[in-house]
Amino acid sequence: MNKELEHQFVTELENNQNIVHKVCTLYTNDRDSHNDLFQEITIQLWKAYPKFRGDSKFSTWMYRVALNTAITLYRKSKKRINTQDYESVIFKIKAEEYDPTEEEQLKLMYKAVKQLGDIDKALVFLYLEDKDYREISETLGISEVNARVKMNRIKNKLRTILNP
Amino acid sequence: MMDELELLKKDWQKKEEHLPKLSYNEIYTMIWKKSSSIVKWILIISILEIVLPHLLYLIPSMQDGLDFYEEAGVTSYFLGFSIFYYAGVAYFIFQFYRNYKEISALDSAKNLMRRIIKTRKTVKYYVLFSLSMCLSMFVVLAFFIYFNDDFILSFQEATAKAKTINIDKIRTAVMWTLLIGGVVFTAVLGAIYFLLYGLLLRKLNRNYAELKKLEI
Repeated sequence: MNKELEHQFVTELENNQNIVHKVCTLYTNDRDSHNDLFQEITIQLWKAYPKFRGDSKFSTWMYRVALNTAITLYRKSKKRINTQDYESVIFKIKAEEYDPTEEEQLKLMYKAVKQLGDIDKALVFLYLEDKDYREISETLGISEVNARVKMNRIKNKLRTILNP
Repeated sequence: MMDELELLKKDWQKKEEHLPKLSYNEIYTMIWKKSSSIVKWILIISILEIVLPHLLYLIPSMQDGLDFYEEAGVTSYFLGFSIFYYAGVAYFIFQFYRNYKEISALDSAKNLMRRIIKTRKTVKYYVLFSLSMCLSMFVVLAFFIYFNDDFILSFQEATAKAKTINIDKIRTAVMWTLLIGGVVFTAVLGAIYFLLYGLLLRKLNRNYAELKKLEI
């Protein structure tokens, strides 16, 4: 039984690991921290898995646990070196598809998003993942109206970062 | 700006191919690793806070201290004090366990933070309770010695030299030493506790404040 549960969980996570990687990318600055956070999220997901009843999609359920871990539960490990090159690997923009100004703009946008606070990042992340305001508000525990208000403020904040 | 975010969204969704890819086995080994979440830290620190003071009694000199209380005739006070103290400790352990059990990563971010803060508050009240017990222990002892000559006399017999010193002076000196020592000891312990928790929960408090601010 337990073995079966393990197998089921690991397979589901393997197929949906992109969600966790994206959260890690947003909340950490170097490869070690990325892996560290990924591991903590995996542990939290596994701990919560017996309570996952399948009434929602596995991926929906993952967003919540992953963000909760990144924002609240995760304790940063001691070493904290910002390696610039790591970020450029993850946030690499495919040049063929965009004109240079657009590419430049995107680079600046990613940089600006990384500068936001933990809660703001969570909102932007869910927005980028194409979640509606109902899901955003439920994940964060705020009302839908407040989620919209907050999102507008973040847009303004991003605008200020981009055009100082 | 709206367009820029839309642009970012499109790009974000295309980026998946650049993300790292872990194998089944890599993920499998991860599920058996130890968590290092703040909830776990709160649990560990809380257990230490409850257990450590009691380990002090295992040190021989502390046991001598207990005999010494007995000789000085403080035992009945001490017993009453202990009963009250352990009832308090039991209450806090129960409360802590109840709050701790409610913490779930499946909750919304705000509820999760609220629950962690609630659990930590139980610990805070426990610390305040222990510190005030510790301080009142010093105060009770200080006044007991001040108003009870037997203790000073037994103390005086032990030291031959003491006979030459005025008993009132010793009495006052012992009382003040205990009072000041008690305050300093309590303050230092308190500072350590609050610094520890302050550092541990700085991020959480900041994020919780931000979510709460939205509701006003």
